[in-house]
Order: sequence, then C-alpha cells, then structure tokens
Amino acid sequence: MSSGLASDEVAEDYKNSLEDLTTNDRFQISNLTVIAKENTEHAMAISRVLENHIRTTPPAHKLPALYVVDSIVKNVGTPYTLFLGRNMYQTFMNAYTLVDSQTRRKLDEMLKTWKEPVPGSLDTRPVFPPEITRSIESALIKARTAALQQQQARSQQDVLTRGRVGTPPGWTNSPTPPQNIVRYPSSANSTPPMPYHRNGSGFPSADPRPAPAPQIQQQDVDLSALNRDLEALITAARSDFASNPLDPSVQQRLKALLDLQGILQRQELTQEQLKLVRNQVSALAPKPVITVPQALQSTLPTVSTPTMTIPPAQAISQPLQQLLNPGTLAELIKTTAARQQPTPPPQAQNSLPQAPTSSATPQPAIPSAPENQLIAALRARGILPPSSAPPMAPATPSSNLNPAFPFLVPGQVRFTPPVPTPQATNMPNVQVTVQMNTASIKIPRLALIATLYESRPNRCGTCGRRFSTTEEGKEKKARHLDWHFRTNQRMAEAAKRAQNRSWYVDERDWIKSREVGDDEGLVDTETSGEGAIGGDGGSSKKGPPKQWIRAPNEATLRNIPCPICQEKFESTWSEDVQDWIWQDAVTVGNRVYHASCYAEVTKDGPTPARRETPSGRTGTPDSVLGKRKAEGVDSPGQNVRVKMEPV
Amino acid sequence: MSLPGLDLTQTTADQDFVAAPPTQISLTKGSEWRFEVAFGTVIRVKLLAGTAELFGTELAPSQTYTFSGTKGAIYTWNGCTLEVGAGDASPAVDGLAPGGVNGTKTRGFGAGGCQSEYTAEETPMVEYANIHFALETLRQEAKATGKDGPRVLILGPENAGKTSVSKILTAYATKMERQPIVVNLDPNEGMLSVPGTLTATAFRTMIDVEDGWGSSPMSGPSAVPVKLPLVYFYPMQNPLEAEGSVYRSIISRLALSVMGRMAEDEEARETGIIVDTPGILSQSKAGALETINHIVTEFSITTILVTGSERLYSLMMRNYDNKPTSSASAVASDERITVVKLSKSGGCVDRDAAFMKSVRESQIRTYFFGNPIPSTASAALSLSVSSTTNVTLSPHAQQLDFNSLSVYNYTIASLEEDEDEYDPSQFGASDAFLPGGSTDAETSTTQQQEESARVTPLPGIASTIESATPGAAANVPLKKLTPPAPSALANTLLAITHASPTASPAEVRDASIMGFLYVADVDNEKGKIRILAPVGGRVPPRAIVWGKKWPDEVVGLVG
Repeated sequence: MSSGLASDEVAEDYKNSLEDLTTNDRFQISNLTVIAKENTEHAMAISRVLENHIRTTPPAHKLPALYVVDSIVKNVGTPYTLFLGRNMYQTFMNAYTLVDSQTRRKLDEMLKTWKEPVPGSLDTRPVFPPEITRSIESALIKARTAALQQQQARSQQDVLTRGRVGTPPGWTNSPTPPQNIVRYPSSANSTPPMPYHRNGSGFPSADPRPAPAPQIQQQDVDLSALNRDLEALITAARSDFASNPLDPSVQQRLKALLDLQGILQRQELTQEQLKLVRNQVSALAPKPVITVPQALQSTLPTVSTPTMTIPPAQAISQPLQQLLNPGTLAELIKTTAARQQPTPPPQAQNSLPQAPTSSATPQPAIPSAPENQLIAALRARGILPPSSAPPMAPATPSSNLNPAFPFLVPGQVRFTPPVPTPQATNMPNVQVTVQMNTASIKIPRLALIATLYESRPNRCGTCGRRFSTTEEGKEKKARHLDWHFRTNQRMAEAAKRAQNRSWYVDERDWIKSREVGDDEGLVDTETSGEGAIGGDGGSSKKGPPKQWIRAPNEATLRNIPCPICQEKFESTWSEDVQDWIWQDAVTVGNRVYHASCYAEVTKDGPTPARRETPSGRTGTPDSVLGKRKAEGVDSPGQNVRVKMEPV
Repeated sequence: MSLPGLDLTQTTADQDFVAAPPTQISLTKGSEWRFEVAFGTVIRVKLLAGTAELFGTELAPSQTYTFSGTKGAIYTWNGCTLEVGAGDASPAVDGLAPGGVNGTKTRGFGAGGCQSEYTAEETPMVEYANIHFALETLRQEAKATGKDGPRVLILGPENAGKTSVSKILTAYATKMERQPIVVNLDPNEGMLSVPGTLTATAFRTMIDVEDGWGSSPMSGPSAVPVKLPLVYFYPMQNPLEAEGSVYRSIISRLALSVMGRMAEDEEARETGIIVDTPGILSQSKAGALETINHIVTEFSITTILVTGSERLYSLMMRNYDNKPTSSASAVASDERITVVKLSKSGGCVDRDAAFMKSVRESQIRTYFFGNPIPSTASAALSLSVSSTTNVTLSPHAQQLDFNSLSVYNYTIASLEEDEDEYDPSQFGASDAFLPGGSTDAETSTTQQQEESARVTPLPGIASTIESATPGAAANVPLKKLTPPAPSALANTLLAITHASPTASPAEVRDASIMGFLYVADVDNEKGKIRILAPVGGRVPPRAIVWGKKWPDEVVGLVG
C-alpha cells in the first residue's frame, strides 16, 4: 500500500480490517500497525476510524482495538499520538465503562505503559503526553474511590478485612429501579411510609420511630455515601415523577428528598442528626439494610411466644432462667416488638413447637445488639445491670452451655428416631452381602439401610453423627462430645487471632499420616489435632524458637527502652516475616523486654511458669510451618541460652 | 462521576427482597428435596423431624445449615420435615460475579430464595446404597482375608452426578467407621483445594454438609474436622492436553502415594479407594480410553461404576468386565474387575459455564479467605456448631522479587488458544515493528531487541533447563520462566511444589503441592510481583508452577 490513495479510501479499508479484529491477535494487530505506519499522511483519517471503531464495536472487541491504538502509538508515534491523543479521554473512558473487570485490568495495565517512554526508544518522553494519561487516571481514581467509599459505607466487617477492594459487589449493577422504593417501605413497615413526607421539611428528627438499625449506628456516617444514596433516591423519584406527574405523593416525596439534599449540602447537621438522616435514607433505599428487617424477624418469632422458650431454659442455667421469666419477658417483648415491627409471620409461629431447641439459640443474638430496645427495657426493669457489661454477660453462659451440656438441650433427645427395632440393634456386626452387579443393586434392602440409621440410635445433637447404644458406642460418643466441646472452646479463642490456611503436606508425610477421628481420646487429639497430622516432617528444620516481636508502629512505643537494661530496641528487617522486627524481644504484660534480660532476671523466679500459655493454645494445630509471634514460647526455662542467630 | 459501567448504586433484585417466612417441606420416605441456590443468596435449612441426608451425610436435627452457590439434594430414607428459610444475602460473595455473570436475578422465588426447588419421588438412592453395601461386603471380605479393599472408579459424562455418587459412597463408608481414600482426578473442580488440582484424601470424619467436601487444615480449629489432602497441580482444564502425557504421569505419581498409604494404613487398606473422574474422559475423545485404562491400571481398580452413558458402559463391559485387576496379588487371589451401570439421578442438572466459573472462583477464594458465607448469617441465628464452619482466614500479601523465584510454565500449545497475544506491557519482545531499524539512532537498541528476541521465542519464556538433564526431561513440556515477569501472571495462581528450585522438569511436574500463591500485580519495571500467600513468612524456596491457563483468572482477589 502506498500513498496516493484518497484519505477516505484508506480509511474505509482500515475500517474493514478493523472490523475483522475480534480477538487479541498479535498478527492482526501488527498488520494494522504496519498499515498505519505506511499511511502516516492519512493519520488523521485512520485515527478517526480507530476512535469510531472503538466507540461502536461491542465491548468484547474493544480491547483488541485499543491494543491497535497502543501498538500504533508505540511503534509509529507522531502524528498518531497527536490525533489519537485528542480524544483519548473519551475513547478510553467510554471503553472502560463498558468492558468487564478483567478487561479493565488489562486496560489499566496498558494505561500504565502509556505513562512511560516507549521501551527501547531513546526518546524519554512518555507514550502520550502526561496531561492525557493524567486526566484518564484521575477519572479512574475518582471512580474507584467512590466505589471504595461505597463499600465502606456498607462495611460488613467481613468485606473489609478481606480487602475485596478490587471488585466492589454490584459494580455493574444498573441504577435503582424506581418501583422498588415504593414497594419496599409498604411491604416492610406497617407504619405509614416515610414520616417526613408529611411535614415536607425533610428533617427527620421529628420521626417518632426508633432508629431501626443498631449495627448501622455504630459506624460513622459517611457523608459522601449518604449523598450518593440520596442522589440515587432523587433520580428514582424524578423518574417516578416524570411518569406520574399528577400524583401528589410522588411530588411530595421528590420535594422532600430535594430538601433533604439541600440540608445536607449546607452541612448544618450534627453527627447524630446525620445518623438519623442516613437511617431514613437507607430505609428508603432498597439497599443493604435488609439486615435490619431480617435481624428483627429472626429474633421475633421466638421471643414473641415466650411460653415456648421456658422448658429448655429452665434446664439451662440460673441467669438465663431468670432472664426468661415468662411474665417479664413476654411483656417486654410484646412492647418492643409492637413498636419495632408488625407481628411475626404466622408460619414461623407454627413451626416453633416443633423446634424447641431454637429457643436456646437466638438468646445471645438479642443482647449482641447493644442499642436494642429489648436490652434497654431489660435494663430499666433491673433485670440487667445498667453497666456496659450486660451484652456479654448473658451471651457467655449460653454459648458455653450448649456444647458443655449437650444432653440438657431437650430437642436433641426428642428427635432421636423412635425405638430401634430389636433385630437391628446389633447390626454393625451383621454380615452384609450384596452382590456387585447391575441387577442386584436395584433391589431395595431396607434392612440394610437400617445399619446406617436405626442401628445407631445414639445421635450427636451437634453434627448428627450416630453412635451405637453399646458401651463402646457410648464411650465414643462421650469422647466425641468432648471433642466438640474442646473445638468450640478453641474456636472461640481462635476467633481473636488471625488464622490462615496451612501448607499442604508432602507425599511422605501424607503416607505416614493417620486420620484422627473426633472420637479418639484426649491425648491423640491433642497431639495431632485435626490436621496437623504429620506436621511438616522433614521439610523444615526448626531451630530452637527465637524470640522476636514485630516492631511497633508508633514512634513513642518504639523509643521505650528495655526496662531492665534501659537500652533501646533495634529494628531489623526480617525477610521471613516481611516486616520490621525486634530481635531478642519479648512482650510481658504490656512492656517489652529483651528476652535475654528477662530470662536473666526471671531465671529463678517461679512467676513466669504460671504465666504459661492458656490451655486451649496447646492443641492448636498450627505446627505446619505455623510461625506465630513468640509469645507462645516465652517460657524462660527453655530459653536461658538465648543467643540468637540472625534470622 | 456518572460512568455507566462504574455505577455504584447497589440495587440488585435480591437486596430489596424481603425475607419470606420459612417454609416447611415434608418429605415422604425415599424422596428427596432438590434445590439450587445462586451465588450471593443464602438459604438456611433445618431438619425439624425425621432423618435426612445430603449426599449421604446426615443432617443433625434442629441445626441450621446454610447453603450458598450450590445445587444439591436432601434425601430421606425414613421421611422428614425440613424448614427452609432465607439467609442474609451475602455481599461478600456478590463480588464473585464481575461483569454481572449472575445477573441481578440471583434470588429465585423458591422456598427461602432458591432459584429452583422441588421434591422428587424417584431417585436412584436405592442403587447407590446398594453399591455401598456391595462395597461393604467386599470390605468385610478384605478384612477377613487380608486382601485390599475395593478400588472404585466412577465414570460418566459431565453433570451425570459422579461427584455426588462419590460423596454418597464416602459418606456412607465413614458412617460405617471406614476410612476410604478419595481421589479426585477432575481438574475442573477441586476437592479440598482449588480447581486444577488432583488430590487424594483419607476420609474418616464426616464430610462438611455445607461446604463441598470440607476444608483442608488451617492454623486454627474447625467445627467440622478438617481433611488432609495430598495435592498435585495440573494447570489445564483438559486432562488430554499433550496427549494426556502430563496428566497420566501425575496420576501415576498420585497412585503411587495412595498405594504407599494403603500399604501402611490398615484402615485405608480395608476400605479401599474411590476415584472421581472428569467428565471429558467419558466422552469419546481421542486418548480418553487410554487415560481410563491408565487409571484402571495405576489404581488397580476393582469396580467400575458408569453413570449416564450406555455407550461407555458397554465399552467398559467389553474392555474390563471380569478381567483380572492389575494389583500384584490379582493372579493369586483371582481378583476381577466388575463393571456396574448406575442410573443417573433425575436431579442432575447442567451447571452452566458461568456457574462453574463461580464455583471455581469461590474455591480459590475459600482457599485464601476461608468460608465465603459471612459469619453473621449463622452466628446471629444459632449456636449450632455445624453452621459456624465459616472460619475467616487471613492470607498474607507481600512483594516478591520475580528473579528469586523459579517459576515453571507448561508450554503445551492448546488447540483453541493463541499464544501470540498482543500484550502492551511486553512491548519490544517482538522486534517486528519497531520504529528503529530505520533510524541510526535506534539501531543499537533494535539489535538488542533482536538478540533477546532470538533467545526468547515467546515472551517471558527462555532457555529451558532441559540441557541439564537431556534424555529424561526431553518430553516434559515444562519450561522455566525467565525475567521479565510476564504481565499475564497477574490474577493467576502459582503452585508451590515440594520440589527444589533446581529440580528437573520431570520432578517438578510430579511433585506434590505445598500450596498456592495468588499474583495480584506484576511490576515489570522492578521485577517484582505482589502476591497473596496463605501462610505468612517467607515463601518457601521451592520450584513453582504457574497456572497460566487453569484455573481461570480471578480478578480482584486483592484490592
């Protein structure tokens, strides 16, 4: 191809070739680059074609087309950078908004290369002038920050700790469909929807309803998120209004929302007021607040039929029993329930008599919401002490009780299948003979099925495992329940620490490992836990435990010397930990000592021995390369010879 | 900022869904309740009365079980009443569907928000139970005579219920206090690990009702006992890539380990092996029969169960039925292979590509972050231990120097994939269209480019270490990656093997896996990669295999 052709012919040709480009095909892209290079005099036309193509082609084909642009600007450079650069912001952002997140990643990467000079080129200028890339980048950053804030506003702690920032859920969701707003409140609330419609000021402090969501109150109010939510509501209301301009309620609603927005923008509200506003807004928005009605519903069915809850409660414990005293509780609950929510769905009530254990279940859920009205009312009646302690107090006994006294929870006993048929009781030893062939396996053998069920009538209420009624079976079950109990204890404790997946074992260790059941004696389980089986065997040779701690982040803490030798700690970078650490350091109480100093001082004293790690710690199966902070191994007795090798 | 695709308002259909009151479902003897729950939707199931089992694992009475992103069936031998209710929609897993894979219609209109749920009277459970009792017969025999227990191979096309059958057989065996070794040879779906793995695990304790097969060991305790898998990495979706050579050699190695365990572990020996296979082996693909034969030989299979394919069944009958097994003692004991046809359950549903992708993503997420169901869902409502299986794990992010790693990549050119992708960050690896070459100023750089291009036929892949061990390694399509780190590493998994960094390609291929790293970012400039490791501390200095094509990319695991 040579010059001399008219621009529009070249453009037409180029357009056709571009349309054939549907995948990320290096050959085609190179080809298109060559054509562009050979026709620099038509650069403007080609650039237009490219831009148009990128704009109009389906999202899946945008990436290859952008790669053509990339290839051209890098291989050919001017004048294409000039022509393409002009509209690059629109071209790029337009594509970016339409493609999926995987492609977005790729675009991000490409954009990154545009900020740099062409690799291998002597020209030190970036591929595109910085103004262009910067404008795109800042737009992207803005969008991302907004996404982040959005996510934080929704802040399920879960989400945050997992750091799923990359793909905010609902990234591609369409904007609020208007009809939801109308539907939601009317179905979820028995009170007339949106009190502030009536006074029109939009100022919600006059709202008689209690703030609905304790969880939400605990967070700080995120203004921008609030504004966004409001924005969405307004948009929805506007479209409602457009389709239904004569409806006064829609008018009012829109006005109220706009007023509210005005108030927010003038920023006259205190934090408390903001909270209220937000609660209102989120009640309107069909957004994550579903937790609220659900949480309420879940607590309600049980509490609203208090007589049901009594029998198991009496079996459980003193404090709980008091708490569940039928008269007070029922009354309290009725009042709170009436104010918070319509009556519980009838089905739920019907289901209750059949599920008495569930009564033991939701109790801790109630105190766990500190601002709950129920608690407040309980406090007012003097059932709960007025201090801040109560939320934990009732929860603890019951959560420990369930595993500790599994026999006491009546539901578990009630549901064991009727009475084992006499001939089935000794089934485990019965000779099973079933032929393995296609005909034989079609014959129903219900007697054999009984070996799976009725012959082991002794059921674990927690996991459903069955045991036989023989002495051996009873023993096994006792050990099994022990196992549950210990696991529960350890899980409660482990919840405070970060946990992680262990490395898989290698072949040798796997072959040597033996599965340990949950019905083995204490010793077995303690040594091999559920999974530390085999440990990491020969794969790593650990020296004696070295004592170190992560260097504190705060400068003031960093400057506190060792109380014994009065020397400061030295931070060293540890490749292993990927963090700054203090070698030969140990935390005792809230002071940090040199481990060697501390060992020296406490060598003869008996105190540290008692300070040994709590019992639950010992069985933790984190030996598989598990490296924890040295607090667990700081028994000075073993470490008198502390002379650290460098890590 | 109002970009259409970046719209941030959160309005999926399921989020304004007002939780319906729980429904009760009564099942008569021998029927089952089948349900499908989308990702992002959570349902709770409680057994109110009677007995019920999910793929053979019995449900505890009055405990709340939560399910999300699954298709399952709860069967009852004796009749039961279930209560099904909606759980909290879990925002944490919404992110599983970037690009709206699941669309907005995740919450269905069935009980508790199931996409689909119904009660079925006809199930092949009698057959499956009889298979179990037939195996039990063989196990008792094995115990009495000191022979090895039955080795079962389950074959059938995709979505024919193979994994369900192996779950049922495993669950029944553990219920009888046996300890089967379960082998998963399907790289599409992991068992106790991520997709792309071939695993062997001895099951002695109960299978997790809520979460697939359960969990592999973690640093902390777990309510359902964890299972200890032996893991091998096969980073391709299709076991028949490269004429199945890689797949088969890994299987040989896996079988060797399993046989080693059988020889030493009395309980495992008596109970035998259950092998689950990928569906593709049961479609008439070239090399599939050879691969089946390889499995039958390596594991000395005694029982072949075929489900969902008459054709395959007749083929297996012809090839294997009543033939002696490959075990060493077969001649002496006259051990013969049995081929049995199983009915396919009417409950088998096609799991479309999008669903499978979500399953795989969820498995990878679970590997690093623990159970995806948010803890609030079950913690708020019940003290039930079995439904607090959701342990949140904290993986560690760190930067690694790419040069310090020895990363291997399989260089099998897949038929449908084009290796020659244009990669903007790999600019210069191909010298074809540099502006240089025409101007003097840039000649030198061009030459450099050309030189490096000559050494590196493909970007990022350089001289293999085949030269070190000629002969033996010649056929292993495994090459060491040399810097610069290819940007395609981003969002993929790296498998840390137990092999040393200087091992031969054959050793690396056959080595079992310690664990996985997720590559969050590649910084070509500094030669660094940002990774997520399950365990803190230094990444063990071992040979690493790159899962370039499989399991598929997971975008945004790390923010």
